[in-house]
Amino acid sequence: MPKRVALKDSFMVDTSDLSNLARAVNADFSDEQVDVSGFSATGVNEYLPGPRTQTVTVTFYGSYGASEVHAVLYPLYKNRSTTVIKWRTDQTTPVSATNPELRGNAKLFSYGPGATRGDVDTFDVTFTAFDAAGLDWFTT
Amino acid sequence: MTGNKTTYKVTGAVPFDVYQPGETFEAELDPELEERALERGSIEIVGGRTSKKKEEGNA
Repeated sequence: MPKRVALKDSFMVDTSDLSNLARAVNADFSDEQVDVSGFSATGVNEYLPGPRTQTVTVTFYGSYGASEVHAVLYPLYKNRSTTVIKWRTDQTTPVSATNPELRGNAKLFSYGPGATRGDVDTFDVTFTAFDAAGLDWFTT
Repeated sequence: MTGNKTTYKVTGAVPFDVYQPGETFEAELDPELEERALERGSIEIVGGRTSKKKEEGNA
């Protein structure tokens, strides 16, 4: 697989294409590491994977127009709504084995825009998978 | 009310699904999704139908 520079990513929230209003996406899937160690000659810990947490954190530009970032995200947080998120690396080509799409149902458990004088207005938003299906990569 | 496709126009500044601003499309959207999209100005219903949630509220 070729290396890539992230330029053409697609990120959709609640069916709105916020790709051009986002500049970074970071998915984090992690399993709780449960210690199941017993006494042993080596003393090395033994672990099993426990509950899994899946999040996707996106850096959005502060954008307050109709249908833009704030208009899409804040109601989702305020009303504790479930939404579908979709991220793929190349918005110019369809979802495929070489352009897989991460998608699933998510909720916003926090929402915190901000601003610093003279700086570009950006803020991070974390989408958390909340149902048993979780987030997964799809090739179709 | 199910099985009825509605015609929408993308009114916001950002694309809605695969549709560009100004484009019209037919779809059967989830009522909650439709209501959020209408409220934030992403889409509008063209063809005279009101939103599904409003229809249910008036029933």
